Amino acid sequence: MTGRVLVGGAAALVLLFLVSPMLAILPLSFSDSEILRLPPEGWSLRWYERLFTSDRWLLAARNSVVVAVATTLLGTVLGTLAALGLHFGRIPGRGAILALLAMPVVTPSVVTAAALFLAYSPLGLTGTMAGLVLGHTIISVPFVVLAVLASLRGFDATLLRAAASLGATPAQAFRRVVLPLIAPGVAAGAVFAFATSFDEFILTLFLAGPGQFTLPRQIYAAVRDVWDPTICAAAVVLFLASMLLLLASEAARRRGGGLG
Amino acid sequence: MSAPLVRFRGVAKSYDGRAQAVAPLDLEVAEGEFLTLLGPSGSGKTTTLMMLAGFEEPSAGEILLDGRVMNRVPPHRRGIGVVFQNYALFPHMTVAQNLAFPLEMRRMPRAERDARIARALAMVRLAGMAERKPAQLSGGQQQRVALARALIFSPRLVLMDEPLGALDRQLREQLQLEIKALHAELGVTILYVTHDQGEALTMSDRIAVFHQGRIEQIGPPRELYDRPATAFVAGFLGENNLLPATVLGADSGVLRCRLSGGAEVLATGDATPGEALLVLRPERIALDGSGANRVPGTVTDAIFLGDQTRLRVALAGGQAVTVKQPHREGERMPAPGDAVTLCFPPEAARILPPQRT
Amino acid sequence: MRRGGLPAFLLVAPLLALLVLSFALPVGRMLWTAVADRELADALPDTAAALRAWDGDGLPPDAAFAHLARELGAALEERRIGLVAQRLNFEEPGLRALLLRTARAAERLRDDPRGGLVALDARWGEPATWRLLKGAAGPLTALYLLRAVDLRLTPAGIVDAPAEEAIFRTLFLRTLWIAALVTLICIVLAYPVAATLAALPERLAGYGLLLVLVPFWTSVLVRTTAWFVLLQREGPLNAAAVALGLIEHPLQMIGTRFAVILAMVHVLLPFAILPAYAVMRRLDPALPKAAASLGAGPLARFLRVHLPLSFPGVAAGGAMVFLLAVGFYITPALVGGPRDQMVASFIAFFISQTPNWGMAAALSVLLLAMTGAVTLLVRAVLPGFARRA
Repeated sequence: MTGRVLVGGAAALVLLFLVSPMLAILPLSFSDSEILRLPPEGWSLRWYERLFTSDRWLLAARNSVVVAVATTLLGTVLGTLAALGLHFGRIPGRGAILALLAMPVVTPSVVTAAALFLAYSPLGLTGTMAGLVLGHTIISVPFVVLAVLASLRGFDATLLRAAASLGATPAQAFRRVVLPLIAPGVAAGAVFAFATSFDEFILTLFLAGPGQFTLPRQIYAAVRDVWDPTICAAAVVLFLASMLLLLASEAARRRGGGLG
Repeated sequence: MSAPLVRFRGVAKSYDGRAQAVAPLDLEVAEGEFLTLLGPSGSGKTTTLMMLAGFEEPSAGEILLDGRVMNRVPPHRRGIGVVFQNYALFPHMTVAQNLAFPLEMRRMPRAERDARIARALAMVRLAGMAERKPAQLSGGQQQRVALARALIFSPRLVLMDEPLGALDRQLREQLQLEIKALHAELGVTILYVTHDQGEALTMSDRIAVFHQGRIEQIGPPRELYDRPATAFVAGFLGENNLLPATVLGADSGVLRCRLSGGAEVLATGDATPGEALLVLRPERIALDGSGANRVPGTVTDAIFLGDQTRLRVALAGGQAVTVKQPHREGERMPAPGDAVTLCFPPEAARILPPQRT
Repeated sequence: MRRGGLPAFLLVAPLLALLVLSFALPVGRMLWTAVADRELADALPDTAAALRAWDGDGLPPDAAFAHLARELGAALEERRIGLVAQRLNFEEPGLRALLLRTARAAERLRDDPRGGLVALDARWGEPATWRLLKGAAGPLTALYLLRAVDLRLTPAGIVDAPAEEAIFRTLFLRTLWIAALVTLICIVLAYPVAATLAALPERLAGYGLLLVLVPFWTSVLVRTTAWFVLLQREGPLNAAAVALGLIEHPLQMIGTRFAVILAMVHVLLPFAILPAYAVMRRLDPALPKAAASLGAGPLARFLRVHLPLSFPGVAAGGAMVFLLAVGFYITPALVGGPRDQMVASFIAFFISQTPNWGMAAALSVLLLAMTGAVTLLVRAVLPGFARRA
């Protein structure tokens, strides 16, 4: 019994450790002073005000959203199509394709970032939104494919025969039977892709010019180059966005999606 | 038979170019009949059904539906109802939406659709389940929905691929009767696949027995049971004794044969002298001395089964014969070690060509 | 109803194109950059050809001198001289100045290239200089890869780099050490959490998991920034420690190894907890009971039943942590000091600060080799690991 209490106690401490940094940042973002002391000496919204009025921060926020939306659209479409082709088709080298798909995930981000920088430089794609979206898509799309493949694995192929026997053309069968059943998987993949892009930092560090800074990139600049306590507010905003995405992902998982 | 609804002409199927899943098949199905394709797994019965539905392509031959060659027609344009082994109900749709699906494909107006759905649900006694999802139904209920869905667009032909396999025995027997009743009521042609010979005997107008890709015998249930044409059919339908025997000669329709133990037996059937197989139903053997044939033997096993007793009797030549006796209260059951005489008329003993390996 | 080859392939083709064009080819090209040696051949083609034809003994033929003088001058005029100057200077400091000086004197050297060059600078009379140039003329070079492990190629063979320049071996060892330490701590901390959550009923476990998923879904940058703020000298952690009487003066925590380890453990802990939890959740609860009925006490049950069965999940999580830790960049960069930087920072350094794509590529090759080796090792030891991705 004492063993279990000790283990449970240790677990509680570790869990506390896991959530405490963000819990500490939250009040700091409302602090009135530039010195980061807990509890804050005074409460104020000035950092949030700075965040939402400063040109640099607004541009960063806008870029983050634009890039994430573009990445999600591109990644979801390409990834879903590919997952359908891989599941329903007889493609030689299926294993090799899946291995290639996994590579952007297992390659250290620095290596990917460096490689893309080297390749995009002569093409003029560095310092552009297009290049950034391409880079983000590369690391997000594997998750979309995985999520859709996972929901396809549970798909009963006899349903397609049943639909045909009831008079549905292949296109009708796809629309009425396949799509609704894989929708949760597609949604889960899309949410993960959005989150991956929204939080992405290393590729952005290499590929983005000042006009394409995203929120994480801007936070980094605010920490390294010119100290700006607005970073606490920006961090909280990013954190809240991540929480929304986490909830969306849980909702999708409950309806049958999820990353298998 | 007036023009058959379905015709298989030399239809064959091979998956790898060498082994034949279905050997060239000629089969006719009359309109309105209940034909069962019966056989063990891998005998080709399901493949034949799938070729008719359009899910498999024949390697040779033609399939005709109502005189039209169907080989090139895709499954969604054949208008044949199919009931699958695992029901294949659309899990994301309610029962009503599942039933509406084929009607929507045929662009039926809303009012008529709703009317048909209500009738279909009543027909399978599931009125009130319209808004449930398949996951909320029991196995038997799901099967009835699958049945209703295959019938709701009034097809002339319905194919059923071992639909009752996943259900427990009592439910299975109940649904067998319900399907039979639907068949009588609607007059629809049913092609039914099963490996359960009891089911086939209960439900069919005709049975086609499949073995290794070929139809060994086709005919009404009683004919197949009483006068099996091959050893396989004899062994597959009901319980049967198969005894190697030698045909010695014929005498005004009755054959004289010798069992390997030396006993002489009078039988009926194919008169060719030489090696043959004697087929004898366990329930047609009596122990009371009546019948032209009398073969002595010793009881090795006796099992009481409630409504009947089953005995294993060893003959002089070492062969074992199964005997089934109805149980009559008060009668003494033979015990192992008893000497008995097996009695049966010549019509009960049929001679067949030896079993093909 | 598997559709035939072509339509299915068309569905996969766009993604495949993206992966090949925007990942496989760039990574391949970068790996190639680690061994490619093009600067000299691009800027001074005839010189390069002449040097390749020369056998490397003594001094090269007159033609080489002539080509060199002429082409250096042309390169300077057409502003193509920068890359080759940097490439040679990287191998031997001082060569850039030499090349520039020689290029500016190109006109004067036209009549007597050989004599003129030697007169301009004694190094042009030394065979060593020309051998170095010859080494840079070839299509391939081992220069960057050797440098990345603190080795030099000399006429006497491969030798160690001088001590003041030998930073990379230490760098790799430091990277591996930090990664290993972080992995060990993560595994130790993950175990109680995973075990406790796995023993809870579904709903409570769900809430506990949420506490793990929250940091998992938060950006690495945000979490590291949070630690950066918390560990400041004037920050809340120091203030709390002083207030509680644990220390007298605020500690300098930013820029220390402690901060790096702490922040990395925090970031990577969910990666260790989640797989361990998944495996432990699936453990048959009847097994420990069976063990108890056979006479096993709590410690024996843990060591002989729980540990062996949960090991694959824990190991998979640990492997994932190690692989991620080895390639880490942000955390050491933000909260670590100069002696805490890992391989990734140097790759970034060679790309953005001092463009030396050869070194960046060489370090990347070695980093990939490390992660590849670890992946293969884990896959050999744990059969189920192949499905992690």
